[in-house]
Formats: sequence, C-alpha cells, structure tokens
Amino acid sequence: MKPFLLMAILFFTIISFSQTMISGKIVDEKNNPVFNANVFIDGSYDGGTSNSDGDFSFTTTAEGNKTLVISVLSFEIKKLEIVMNKFQNKTIILKRIATELNEVLITAGTLESGGKSRVSVLKPLDILTTAGNPGDIVSAFKTLPGTQIVGESGKLFVRGGEANETQTFVDGLRVAQPYLQTTNNVPTRSTFSPLLFKGTSFSTGGYSAEYGEALSSILVMNTIDEPDLEKTDIGVMSLGASLGNTQKWKNNSLSVNTSYINLQPYQALLPDNIEWIKPYQSIGGETVFRQKLDRGLLKFYASYTAANFDLKQDDINYPDKIRTQNKNNNLYSNLSYKGGFGTNWNIFAGISFAKSQNSGIYDVYNYDSSENASHLKLKFVKPISDKIKTSFGADYFYTNFSESVTNFNTGYNSNIFAAFSETDFLFTNNLIAKVGFRFSKNYLLDESSIAPRLALGYKLAKNQQFSMAYGTFEQAPKNDYLKYSTNLQAEKAQHYILSYEFNKDKQIFKAEVYYKSYDNLVKYNTNTPVFNSNFNNNGTGFAKGLELFWRDNKNIKNLEYWISYSYIDTERNYANFPKQATPSFVADHTLSLVTKYWIQDWRSQIGATYTFSSGRPYNNPNETVFMDGKTKTYNNLSVNWAYLVSPQKILFFSVTNIAGIKNVYGYNYANTPNLAGIYESQAIVPTADRFFFVGFFWTISKDKKTNQLENL
Amino acid sequence: MTRIIIAIVLFITSLVSAQGQFEQGMGKAFQLWGEGKNTEASAMFERIVTAEKTSWLPNYYVALVNTTTAFGTKDATQIDLLLTKAQNALDVELIKTPNNAELLVMQAMIHTAWIAFDPMTNGQKLSGTVMELYAKAEAIAPENPRVVFGKAEFEIGGAKFWGTDTKPMCAQIEKAISLFATFKPETPFSPKWGLERAEAALKNCK
Repeated sequence: MKPFLLMAILFFTIISFSQTMISGKIVDEKNNPVFNANVFIDGSYDGGTSNSDGDFSFTTTAEGNKTLVISVLSFEIKKLEIVMNKFQNKTIILKRIATELNEVLITAGTLESGGKSRVSVLKPLDILTTAGNPGDIVSAFKTLPGTQIVGESGKLFVRGGEANETQTFVDGLRVAQPYLQTTNNVPTRSTFSPLLFKGTSFSTGGYSAEYGEALSSILVMNTIDEPDLEKTDIGVMSLGASLGNTQKWKNNSLSVNTSYINLQPYQALLPDNIEWIKPYQSIGGETVFRQKLDRGLLKFYASYTAANFDLKQDDINYPDKIRTQNKNNNLYSNLSYKGGFGTNWNIFAGISFAKSQNSGIYDVYNYDSSENASHLKLKFVKPISDKIKTSFGADYFYTNFSESVTNFNTGYNSNIFAAFSETDFLFTNNLIAKVGFRFSKNYLLDESSIAPRLALGYKLAKNQQFSMAYGTFEQAPKNDYLKYSTNLQAEKAQHYILSYEFNKDKQIFKAEVYYKSYDNLVKYNTNTPVFNSNFNNNGTGFAKGLELFWRDNKNIKNLEYWISYSYIDTERNYANFPKQATPSFVADHTLSLVTKYWIQDWRSQIGATYTFSSGRPYNNPNETVFMDGKTKTYNNLSVNWAYLVSPQKILFFSVTNIAGIKNVYGYNYANTPNLAGIYESQAIVPTADRFFFVGFFWTISKDKKTNQLENL
Repeated sequence: MTRIIIAIVLFITSLVSAQGQFEQGMGKAFQLWGEGKNTEASAMFERIVTAEKTSWLPNYYVALVNTTTAFGTKDATQIDLLLTKAQNALDVELIKTPNNAELLVMQAMIHTAWIAFDPMTNGQKLSGTVMELYAKAEAIAPENPRVVFGKAEFEIGGAKFWGTDTKPMCAQIEKAISLFATFKPETPFSPKWGLERAEAALKNCK
C-alpha cells in the first residue's frame, strides 16, 4: 500500500509539473508583426520572446487562470487574463505608446522652449546664451517668428498686436504686470529670472480656451518642479550683482534669487543720450517653494522688485527737456496645486495676487498709480477613453486700478468671470481635434460672450505634420482707456492659422500662414487718451502673414543656429487713427539669425545674433496722407562670449549692436507747426548705439561641477 | 511517519526547485546577455522580476542591460525608450533601498547615458547630479570597485574637457582594479562587472 501511495504522490507531482504550450502572434494596430516582445506568465519564469514574424511559443507548468504579460519597447504593456491550456495560436494586438515622438500634436501658433518635447524650438540655455539679450526671458522669444522688433519698448509685439495684447502666465496664473516700469522710448525688461523656470510656451495665436483676456498671444511660463541640486549662485555684473540659493529637503525645496541693479557706474563710463538725474536702480528677488504631497505638488512663487530712476529727455513739443521721475514697486505672488484624485482625474487650483505701484513726477505733474490684480483658476482634466480627453474649469480675474495725477483721480474695479471647456478627440493615430469654448462675463463692462476654439492636428508622415487653429479671442480694453471710460466693450479678434512642421534629428522646420481680424477696437478722438476723450468701440483691423523657422543643431559640428523670418501685412483703424493704416510698431519683414559656436580649445561659446527689419511706418503731419512715412531698415549684430574659467566660474561678455549702426525706430512730430508752418520732428533712436555687458558668475555646490552657463 | 517524511522531502524539493529556478533563470539571462542577445536577456530578467519580488537584482539587471544597450545605440527614439525602461526598473528598487551603492552607480550610469546622448542639453543639467550620486555611493561603499571606477571614469571626462591633469583619476582606476581583485559579491548573481572596462580605461591613461 505504501509504495502505491508514494507512487501516486509522485505521479501527481509529475502531473502538477506537466507542461502546457502557450503560443500566438504579436502584432501592432496595423497588423504588422512585433519583434522581440517579451511574453510571459506573471509571477513565473515561464515565457518567450516573439520572433521577426511576431510568433512566440513557450511551455509552462502553470495551471488554471493566470495573467499573461506582453512587454516590449515602444508599446504599452499588455496584461491578459488567460486560462492555461486554452491559449494557442492566439493573436495579440499591442498599442504603441503615445510618446511625443510618434504622437500627433497641435502645434499651430505654438513655440515651445525647454522640455523634451520634439516641438521645442528653444532650449533652456538659449534664453541666456542668445546674443543681444543678457538673461531676459522675454527677449529670447523676440528672435522667433511672429514677433516684431520694437527696440524702444522691449515688450513682445505679436502678429500686428500691441504689447498689451500678449498676456503672461506663471504656473497657469496671470501676471498682471510682467514688465518693469520705464518711460518713453527706454526699453523695459521682464521681471523673471530664467533660473527658476523650466519651460516656456509662447503662443502667437489660436491658443487653448483655458487662456483668456488675451487678444493676440500668450506666454506661459512654468517654474521648476524639483531643483537638481543644492547650490549657491553668485553673480557680479557691470550693472550690479545677484545672489541665489537653493535648498532641498525630502519632500520640499526652496529657491531664492535676489539681484541689485544700478546703472550709475555704467552711465558714468559710457553715457547714453538720456540725461540721468538718478540712473536706474532696482533691487528685487524671487522665490519658489515646492512641497510634494501624496498625489500632487504645491508651489508658491513670489517676485518683488523695487526700482527707481530720475531722468530728463528731449521732447519735440517742449523747448526744455522733460523730467520723468519714477518709483516702481512690483509684487507678484501665486499659490498653485496640481495633482490627481479618484481614477485618472487631474486637478489644478491656483490663486495669484499682484500689486504694482508707480509714483513720481512727469514734467510738472505728480502721479501716483496702483494696480491690484488677482486671478483664481480651477481646472479639471479627465481622460474619458483612450481617444477622448476632456478638461473644464473656471477663472476669475479681479483688477483694481487707481491713478492720481496732481489730485485728479481716476480708476476702476473690474471683475471678470469665465468658464471654459475643451475636449480632445483622437480620431485616428494621425488625426486629432481639440474643440472648446470659453464663456466670459465682464461685470464692469456688463457684457458676456462665448468664444469658440477649434484646432486640428494631422500627421502626414513620421516627421511631418499639419495643424490648424481657429478661435475668437477677446480682452477688456487696457488701463489707459478704462480709467477714463467704462462705457466700452471688450476688444475682439479672430485667428485662423495653418501650420506645417518638419522635425528630424535635431532639425526643425516650421512654416505658418495666418489671418487675423480685429473688431471692437477702442477709438478716441484726442492726441492721447484723456479724461474728456470720446471713446468708442468702432475700431477694426486685420493682420495676415507668413512665418518661417529653421533650426539646425546637427549639420555643422559645434554650431547651433536658427533663422526666423516673418512677413506681415496688417492695418488697423484704432486709437486716434483717422483711417485704417499700418501701426508704427509693425515692419513688413523681420529676420533673425541666431548662432552659437562652441570652441573646445578655448572652452568658450561664441554667439552672434543678427536681426533685420524693413522700415516701420510713421505719421508725418507735413504730409497729407496718414502714416505715409517709412523709417530706414533696422540692422543689429550682437555678439557674446561665455568663457568657462573653471567648472564653476564663468566670465561673460556681450556687445549689443557691435557695428554701432544708427538705427531709427520712428519719428515723433510736434503737435503744432512752427512759425514756418512745418511740424518739426524728432527721431526715436536707441538710448545708446552699443551696449556692453560684462559679468562673472560663480556657482558653489557640493559636486563642484555645476555652473551658471544656463543663466547667461 | 513516512508521510511526514515525504511531505518534508517534497517541501524541500519544491524549495530547492524554486531556488534552482532563480539560479537557472538568472543563469539563462546572463547566457543570453553574453551572446549579445540583449533584448532576450532583458526579457528574461523582467520575467524574474515578476517571480522574485524580494531580490533587487533582476530589476538592477534590467536597468543595466538597457542602459548599456543605449550606449551603443544611435537612434534618438530608441535611446529614449531604452533609458526610460532602465529608469523605471531602477526606480522600483531605489524606493526600497535608496542607500544601495550599486543602485546609485546604476543611476549615475543612466544619467551619463543621457549626457552622452546630448551633451549640450543634458551635460549642464545632469553632471552635477552624477557627481552627487557618486559622492553618496562612495560614502556608503568606499571599497566598492564600481563606485571607485565609475567616479574616476566620469571625472576623466570632465578633466579632458577642462584640459586638467587626469593622473589622480588614473590612480583611482588603478585602485579600482586592485579592489576588483578582492571584491566578494554577496551572492553569485550580485554585480561583479567592471574589471575589463577599468583595464581598458587604464590603457587610455597611459
């Protein structure tokens, strides 16, 4: 009996080790065989690899219900519940991973910087190593298509739109005052230090319904989620000094940057054409605090700048120079949370607060203005299926503006509520559509509206795609008008964009054509907007153009370069224009060539940027035709040199407009003719023909490797 | 009594057979890898991952196979996929044992592969982190030859860039080679690679 029992036990043991054959074929969605797929029983050693025909087979001792796992590069992992001994010659279809590289994207109007995105046209380093803009985030974007060279302003002018038609967002929340205060024809710069930002998306039109109160363009900047290392950055510049520090803990981190700028020594050495009573001086700082939470990330960002200057400038309307004295305090802060909840839900919630104060003297007038602005946003994103993803949310903008000029007070309170919704439909792997709308209610202007948005992306081939975008966009009139009259409506624009993109192996080509129409633009009947001007919304306009972009980091060793070309045809009848005409900030042709060359033997990066634009219109009141004048062409060659002294020390030189070409941005004419009956003119020119910059940057970190090359 | 004995025997047999399976599986994977069948080797290691939840080795080797494959690949898409796969496998183990020097070296290697792929973009971003990883690994296991060699090799890259003397790093490589001779892996399948690469690197020193 016992031997029998033993036999039986052994027999059953053998049975339990009996082998089952599992076989089949692995194919992709187009029925092409998938080679080298790893097919195995979860939790066991049993498995096989598919051959070049996609066929696989293996034997297993597993029994009953098990999970079959199929894993292979570039496909999503597939898990199948199978019954052993019933799985032979089955065909398994795998889904390709929707990576950026094979995904169809909507890129009409969008220019990305940073990130691993294949559509990135700028790298993080470019912000600072582009000759001609030492460290200003905004100025790097001025070398991209769609922007105008408006040297006397320093702000972004996009596709025939004024500077205020571009709205800036940090971590999704509006920045009411993104620029530092300046005066007539003295260029400004943005308040952001590139150190704290990881990626920027600049849209020249057709943007998502999530973004409102922007007529022409948006600049969306995101702060770094997690800094790489703890470090201290020290900078000594011809214009001042900067100090930064980053600390990391287990679940949170803090970065602080401060800077002090004083133009006095530079002005003493190389005076420009402005008579400075007190050269520009500013002290500022930015900070980012990040806290990782269970399923999300909480971020706090704040920036503060206090600046002042006092100067005298020629003005054609006055025999003596006009004095401008200004004190500017600019605070911006925001708190945002993004994270997941439930099954596949994503939430974004944020609030921003900005306070900007300007006070001083203009000519004989005292002025004091203050703007408090807040933006609240709540957004949800939910993939409904593999093919459909929806997002919706709401916005609230609050603005309180007040100004007093020698005891004459103006101001307003604005409240705007908006709701938005957008859905992505992936029809096939090559065709995607984004459909959405934005509802907006402006309580101050007492109007509400619905703005539709539509965008399509079509992938032509592996490296090529088309996209198009359409939408209506609106924006409340700017402070300069609203402070005098609230009997106005929002200005409106319609964008139509068609875009083609080719990218392969560190080369990007992009071509875009667009048409834009403007409606409801504000008009007034005086020289400048004043309290008794008659304002109305009868202005209209259009803009159309062609833009080309080519970037190549591949073909010439150690050289990276890009070329942007923009052609624009635009006319508007707005502001105090007597008839439809091309505004003075628009040049028909704009070209930028940016190059960066690395010389290993010198451990140096030499950069050169050449910008050209055709003449800009100006109005000569001595002529009968409005806006009939054209300036000469604009040419600027700027160079820079970054020299790595040691792994953590960098010396940086740059010269803007090295050839000292005398550029003219336009002309101001006297308001009244002189005795001979002629309106006298004054050229608007750069404050200096050349601008020199020298800086020394030192990073102190434990690893002794990191430096501030990224920040130059 | 007999039944109990049989039961015990069967129990032990099954234990031994499970042990044997791990060794067989790992052995098979190493054999495939040795034959240059990197995808199959990675597949085998991946299967072992699902069967042996307690050992950090299978995921370590998934990361190692895919990273070394990435070093020899030119196609950008493929490199991205390989390194992402390596990173995902490594992440699983790094969360469990963040102070395992071998895993830290592995992380440094993945970053180094990214740097090699696009030095202009990733060099500035990741080289600091790589040095930080080696410093941490060195504090944990100063006598681990892969830590000593990896750090020295990475520093040589920097020294060549700066045109500075590579002698101190070469001395470290020599030290690593002598450490390889005395290094005792904890288990038969614990990492023990690197001697050949160190010897090749030392040749370049001279």
